[in-house]
Amino acid sequence: MEITFALLLWGVRIAFLLLLYLFLIRAFRALHRSLDEEKSAVSARSTGLATLVVTTSHRGGPRVGERMPLRAVSGIGRDAGNDVVLNDEAASAKHAVVSFADGEWWVEDAGSTNGTLVNGSRIWDKERLHYGDEVQVGRIALRLERVQ
Amino acid sequence: MIRLRPVARLAELRLLVWVAAFSLAGYAVVVAAAAGKFSWAQLLVPVIVLGLFAALHAFLVAVGFRGDQLLLPLALGLTGLGFVLVERLAPNLLIKQLSWLVLASGAFVAVILIPRDLSALARYKYTWALLGMALLVSPLLPVVGREINGARIWVGITGVMQFEPWELVKLALVVFFAAYLDEYREILSAPPRRFGPIPLPPLPYLLPIVLMWVVAMLVMVFEKDLGATLLFFGIFLAMLYLATGEPFYTVIGLLLLVAGGVVAYHVFGHVAARVDVWLAPFASDLRFDTGYQLTQGLFSLGNAGLFGAGLGNGMPERIPVVWSDFVFDAFTEEVGFAGALALLALYLAFVYRGMLVALRAPTTFLQLLAGGLSFIIAFQTLVIVGGNAKLIPLTGITLPFVAYGGSSLVTNFILCGLLLRVSDITARVRG
Repeated sequence: MEITFALLLWGVRIAFLLLLYLFLIRAFRALHRSLDEEKSAVSARSTGLATLVVTTSHRGGPRVGERMPLRAVSGIGRDAGNDVVLNDEAASAKHAVVSFADGEWWVEDAGSTNGTLVNGSRIWDKERLHYGDEVQVGRIALRLERVQ
Repeated sequence: MIRLRPVARLAELRLLVWVAAFSLAGYAVVVAAAAGKFSWAQLLVPVIVLGLFAALHAFLVAVGFRGDQLLLPLALGLTGLGFVLVERLAPNLLIKQLSWLVLASGAFVAVILIPRDLSALARYKYTWALLGMALLVSPLLPVVGREINGARIWVGITGVMQFEPWELVKLALVVFFAAYLDEYREILSAPPRRFGPIPLPPLPYLLPIVLMWVVAMLVMVFEKDLGATLLFFGIFLAMLYLATGEPFYTVIGLLLLVAGGVVAYHVFGHVAARVDVWLAPFASDLRFDTGYQLTQGLFSLGNAGLFGAGLGNGMPERIPVVWSDFVFDAFTEEVGFAGALALLALYLAFVYRGMLVALRAPTTFLQLLAGGLSFIIAFQTLVIVGGNAKLIPLTGITLPFVAYGGSSLVTNFILCGLLLRVSDITARVRG
């Protein structure tokens, strides 16, 4: 009786450590899996067709030098649903649309309150956008650049 | 009224099953070894604890919470180990710890439900700073302030309830720092002038750094709490670095801290005593005096070996106040290096996950908030495990989630809830 009890105790002691390690392995496996997902999400995000680089910003806005990848059609605005989200009160929820068509980049105002500027002048129609051109949305200026 | 939109949280549920398994096994061994026999009735407390864990999971499912599924099982796994250790080291405190767990769970639920918009916390940043400061100095007040074991860090009514306000101060400070640094990050990280590699931001912006240092030093002097000082200043420096990416501030901060420490060592007896014990706990005049706790802890660690003495089979009760100060040594003595490694790996996973939540968060404020909260857990673990192993001077910081202590348990559950909230916002923004 005494001996079986002692043996049983040791059995459960070993089981405790084993279970602890099994939990740990599951936890690290879940951690690893989500890292993989994150990696593919990051690479999908960073290999855009071109990038918009922040050249002027303000407190609370994006950092100067931050690169925002562009897709074939990218919405710019304050709304979280945009491809390029700008935290700026002067920007409209859906401010402008940058698109790639016929081998060229184009920008069009999406009916914003404060308008969209290309190289300092307000646009009223769909405008050609060259690499190096600066688009201003609210108080934030973005320069179109090739992907590195 | 909360609308119920249940979502499946299967990954969380699966991990919680493992938590239940090892918690029950550990608890069963501990009670059976102590009583010399086993009956199912002895498992009442852990079953209540696990029921509470299940209720928390069910609550997240019911409200349609979409945040992280790994942080909660890790936190509850550590809490489960904590209950095994409280039963092992201080069974008379078990019911008290259980009631604290109920309170902590309530706080967790509250954090998940309110505030509706987490970013609103940033709007009241100076309120948090003031609240933090008020809590920080509250133990110094007459009547409610209490000095226990040489540290004046408690408030409460003797015999009824005592609380370490410092624990909640940590959270208030992280919220404040996150909001403050979010606003002034630009000017601190890209100052208009530089002197070689040294950034020279306008003087008013440096003032808070100096102010923080002064407050940290005051805490060390008047509350005699080295751990709080370290943690306080550590959180601040880490978040400053997170926000600015400027190593110079960290270097300056560390130099200030070391300078303050050296001065304090020569001026204040309680600081000198801690350091002397750390340097030579076996010295003939300290071994059975102020060094007793640490040397007993070191014997525990030294006898651990690879697999330890077996749960319930060691002699951790020979360490004074083992249930709150030396749980790491006690745990290691009984489950050995293998168990200690698993425990530290749990913290590693929690902090890693927390930092990941920070990286993914949509706004700078939320990033800094999650980063700061994760850092608290990392830093506390480092400081207390380092203290128990005589790597650094011993401080009164608790081992998060595991050590006995109500204030710490409540705070850590709130912390976990806030991290989950940040990850929930991220999940909703990303769609």
